[in-house]
Amino acid sequence: MVRSGRVRLKDAQNTALSLESRFDLAYNAAHALSLAALRWHGYRSENRYQVFQCLTHTLQLPPTQWRVLDQAHRKRNLAEYEGDLDVDEALVEALLRVALTVADRVIALGPVPSA
Amino acid sequence: MGIKTAKRTTNTRMPASRSAVSAHTSIADALFTATQQRVLALLFGQPQRSFFTQQLIELAGAGRGAVQRELERLQQSGLIVRITQGNQKHYQANPSSPVFAELCGIAAKLLSPADTLREALSVLANKVQLALLYGSAANHRDTSHSDFDVLLVSDELALEEVYEALTPAEKKLGRPINPTLYTHAEFHKRLEQRNPFLIKLLTGETISLIGNKDDFIATG
Repeated sequence: MVRSGRVRLKDAQNTALSLESRFDLAYNAAHALSLAALRWHGYRSENRYQVFQCLTHTLQLPPTQWRVLDQAHRKRNLAEYEGDLDVDEALVEALLRVALTVADRVIALGPVPSA
Repeated sequence: MGIKTAKRTTNTRMPASRSAVSAHTSIADALFTATQQRVLALLFGQPQRSFFTQQLIELAGAGRGAVQRELERLQQSGLIVRITQGNQKHYQANPSSPVFAELCGIAAKLLSPADTLREALSVLANKVQLALLYGSAANHRDTSHSDFDVLLVSDELALEEVYEALTPAEKKLGRPINPTLYTHAEFHKRLEQRNPFLIKLLTGETISLIGNKDDFIATG
């Protein structure tokens, strides 16, 4: 999960891609990495929003970064369910910074503690 | 740019222009008349300031008689105090009234949320060239479930900084603020491409928080 998140995070930084694709990659990277953090703590969830909401506990993510994920999540839902994707650079760049923070922190957690 | 922008004059939108059975009566309209809203917004929005009668009439943009009636009632109930200086009468919110804090809260949340937002954004003022409140809060159709939608244009700011600056205002307003941050290039590109979101926003009601919409569009 961490590996898949990091691959997508790397691709999301590729400015040759469209902003929309970079948004998708960064969003999915953030989700995979956030889910890895939740799993590390021994929990699971199929609800994307909850996975992000838990970050303040799983990785002590600052509230402003969580708000970036909140906005990204709502934009992503509009795109998936209403076919209306209108992302801006500020959001994609903030999302990348958040995903990088999440990646660093999830790696810093180390291997999953054995039961 | 040929964009028709609905110019917003001072709070002249009257609840009467809406259908009586509108499903979206704003909280402020449910509680107060239009004149009450304007007078309370001034006195309790800036509780440390005193206003003289003529000032209140001008700032409220309401009729002299209506404003004077409100002031009389507010003063008689002890919600505001009247200070006479020479032949001028000054009015100020009365901090010792039992509902002083509540009325200040109502003013900040319902009656002048734009001022609350302006105050929060003032720390970013030199980095932001345009900030507009749009959506339901700008056309006074916001309910307790509505977010405050804010568009900002800046080449220097990160989205996280915007959220950081807006956090105190969110606490005061008790409702989420939803910022959209564009660079100058993005703003003008969307304008040129007639991006539906931006066009709808600019042709709808907006309240300026920083800068002026028309000047910003004109100067490019």
